[in-house]
Amino acid sequence: MNEFRNDDWLDRQLRADARRLIEDQAFSERVLAALPSPAPRANPWFKPALVFGSTAVGGLLANLLAPIGPMFIEGATQLAHLRGFTPSVAALLAMTSVLVVAGWVLATED
Amino acid sequence: MPPAPAPSDADLILAVLERDDRAAFAEIVRRHQSQVRTVLRRLTRGDMGLADDLAQETFILAWRNLRHFRFEARFSTWIYRIAFNAWQSEARKRHEVLLDADDDERPALEVAAPEPGVDVASRLDLERAMTVLSDGERAAIAACYYADLSHEEAAQALGLPLGTVKTHILRAKAKLKARLASPEDDA
Repeated sequence: MNEFRNDDWLDRQLRADARRLIEDQAFSERVLAALPSPAPRANPWFKPALVFGSTAVGGLLANLLAPIGPMFIEGATQLAHLRGFTPSVAALLAMTSVLVVAGWVLATED
Repeated sequence: MPPAPAPSDADLILAVLERDDRAAFAEIVRRHQSQVRTVLRRLTRGDMGLADDLAQETFILAWRNLRHFRFEARFSTWIYRIAFNAWQSEARKRHEVLLDADDDERPALEVAAPEPGVDVASRLDLERAMTVLSDGERAAIAACYYADLSHEEAAQALGLPLGTVKTHILRAKAKLKARLASPEDDA
């Protein structure tokens, strides 16, 4: 029984000590002063535009310089003259779609 | 017209996250500084300078990692966890921390000068008694009594098994009881 009384007393002491308030005494100001400077807020479209643009330019250059490049040029020409859905046009559209999707995924990735 | 209710911790955190609102963070610091500093003072065996340095580091880490705060937990629980980690890192640097150790009694540090308050003598006795606890025992007492965490939360915050936390609490209380005279015993 005495053991329980001792425990109660000790618990009360510990909890009373825990509730004791420490005056701020400029502590908050010191913390605020030590916070890192606010980072300049970048335009939210800057990163997606950069990633998307560089993906598009890189993909275009890679396709034009690859051995299959002339086929894409031919497809673009045929598409411009509305000559129907030729294999070159299909290849050009497929590659463009892949580039757009890949660029979009990269650009919107956090 | 009644005054607007004080914003909750969650409101203040959202203001910081959405608008980088430093005034809101200042309010968070003002609300929690006393308890965080008290816990760290107990953990550092009354070394007030070190405790305040660690408390400052704790709030700066909280600022940097606020986006990782999950709103289902109490903010105080989250910040105590940061405080315990800061203390453990500091102690590791000094090769001091032995949370799992059973008994690592060290020479007690000087107890801080008393501040105005109720029952200063009892508090000084308690502070002196706390200095003889091992790191693990002191951490468990600080977590469960000063930070008001449950045993499970304390185990998580300290990175210790639940059973070890309970053992530390029992041993710490036995040591404290041995050091402190109960008023009932004196009666």
